[in-house]
Amino acid sequence: MDELTALLASTIRNATPLAFAALGGLFSERSGVINIGLEGMMLISAFAGVAGAQGSGSTVFGLLVALAVGLLFGLVHAVASITFEADQIISGIAINLLALGGTGLLMVLFFGSGGTSPRIEPFSRIDIPLLADIPIVGAIFSQSVLVYLLYALVPITWWVLYRSRFGLRLRAVGEVPEAVDTAGVNVFRLRYIGVGLSGMLAGLGGAFLSMSLLSAFTEGMTNGRGFIALAALIFGRWNPVGAFAAALLFGFAQAVVFRGGIGFTVPQEFIEMFPYLLVIVALVGFGGRAVPPAASGQPYRKE
Amino acid sequence: MSGDEIEEVDEAEGRRSIGEILREQVVAAGRALIFPAVALAIALLVGVVVILITGNSVIEAYAALLRGGFGSRQALGRTISNATPLIFTGLAVAIPFRGGLFNIGGEGQLFIGAIAGVWIGLTMPGPGPLVAFVAIIVAGLAGWIWGAIPGLLKIWGAHEVITTIMLNFIGINLTFWLAKNPLSGEGAVPGTGFVPEGVRLTRLGGGLGAAHYGFVLGIVAAIVAYILIWRTTKGYELRTVGQAPGAARYAGMSVAANSFLAIALGGMFAGLGGGLESLGTFGKVSVPFISNLGFNGIGVALLGRNHPAGVVLGAIFFGGLAAGAQQMQFSTGVPLDLADVLLAIVLLFVTATKLVEYLLGRRARTFAAGTRLEKGLAG
Repeated sequence: MDELTALLASTIRNATPLAFAALGGLFSERSGVINIGLEGMMLISAFAGVAGAQGSGSTVFGLLVALAVGLLFGLVHAVASITFEADQIISGIAINLLALGGTGLLMVLFFGSGGTSPRIEPFSRIDIPLLADIPIVGAIFSQSVLVYLLYALVPITWWVLYRSRFGLRLRAVGEVPEAVDTAGVNVFRLRYIGVGLSGMLAGLGGAFLSMSLLSAFTEGMTNGRGFIALAALIFGRWNPVGAFAAALLFGFAQAVVFRGGIGFTVPQEFIEMFPYLLVIVALVGFGGRAVPPAASGQPYRKE
Repeated sequence: MSGDEIEEVDEAEGRRSIGEILREQVVAAGRALIFPAVALAIALLVGVVVILITGNSVIEAYAALLRGGFGSRQALGRTISNATPLIFTGLAVAIPFRGGLFNIGGEGQLFIGAIAGVWIGLTMPGPGPLVAFVAIIVAGLAGWIWGAIPGLLKIWGAHEVITTIMLNFIGINLTFWLAKNPLSGEGAVPGTGFVPEGVRLTRLGGGLGAAHYGFVLGIVAAIVAYILIWRTTKGYELRTVGQAPGAARYAGMSVAANSFLAIALGGMFAGLGGGLESLGTFGKVSVPFISNLGFNGIGVALLGRNHPAGVVLGAIFFGGLAAGAQQMQFSTGVPLDLADVLLAIVLLFVTATKLVEYLLGRRARTFAAGTRLEKGLAG
């Protein structure tokens, strides 16, 4: 029983950064801009959150800094790939390298040396009264504030995407930008918003890593999570609920690794391959093929 | 996607004076360099800002960077040592690119090649040079297989950008498992044991430090790649499929077969690069192993406009940047991470069609050839 509770709690903790970043990827890719830079946006925000909290003494202020920096990196991707028509994939890879090098550089400038930053006061765990007392399931309701934010963001994202006018336009811009343009809606603005939101959400994922899951920044701490988030997005068929479910599945796999297996022993390396293998399976079409938004990857040129 | 192929098409247009041809060649070369030049200029400017923020002299820092990359035999040795795998991972991007595919899987293909090479190096009996020869071949084969997987998946409708990203992590984890389990060494550091001394690649010598003959093989590989892609019928097909898949299909060429060939070849080069790293530079595969060479190969290929000669130059440039950054940190205190930042900025802008257009006028748009694939993920 305790083991199950701990496993569930760990699953949610590990799924949260993946889910934030996957929701981020969703806004970008649904607007027609591929975002391979999620990893970098997470990493730089993980640093920014800690630096902000360290500098101001306030964890909440740190989170705001993380969001702002995530937005900034989103906008870098947007300027390069939307305005300057740079290749979206290459721009995303550049964002990742920029964050990797940039955090290394900033660690030295801010904290005097690379490696791990000084500790900060992390977001505290909040138990929801009554709900947190339920056996096993209670683990869902005994989490960091940021996790509750995620619980709210999943349905909100679904509603925005499928029920709001903005969402309709965003999806249309990712499929047939010409039609949206003809209807008098600004394609570039929509894509900027999509990629900007993407940066902020990935930033939330990064901030969760350094300010909730852990309480310091370590160089390279995202450790491929941005790519697992991309995998969750694809496996979840570019749908917020699907992406969240996939993030939970991959979070479970990580929880199993960190908790040293559940009865049977599969080498850690094979469990870590699991999300990536699933994506390939999804792409070649078992259980309905995963098809990306039609216009993703192409810069839009007004004729 | 026209531009730098113009000279080949124009040759049918009758006799021209040598002066005209020369002029055209110079113009074409100039155009080819515009994108890398703009990207580099922006990167160096950002570098100036960063160096000023750290409170250092820009001239001193950049001088140290240059000295550390090319200023002495030792520096040159480090640069060559860094450049060697990058030539291969650069080719691993450039060749599929010419066939219309974007190979982001260089990282995984390099790991698989590295572990395959060490596997032969550790287990095959026989004289050292023979074992090394077989090990390098097997590394290339293993990379070929790891590149062929996204080639096959592409035929089944999965886009290579996503599959190669996923296969990177699968390949890296598989390599780690192999290095920690069946091929595990005795040492305290996790990973394989060292391959016998006789199997390791000979160093170049002449005060060049750790630089080994892999660099020479890299130059040979670039020449082979050039001949294969630009001077054979198969290569012509591959480029046609890359530039105009519709026309290629109409002419009876198989798009699927050529795409497969392009990315498998790319995988082979990355695998060779991995084998040379593990057999030459390190003598083993440790966990964690060297990383980011595959991703940096993308920058090398793009800076070199996906041409083998450009790839070699790009690799030497990036290799020198990494070597120089150490010197820069040592003598001025500017963190060596600046090199990664500069590299990232080059990547960010090296395909920026519109940026060059803003800076140099609309005519510049045609210069974009060789730096981008004009199609999306769903295409």
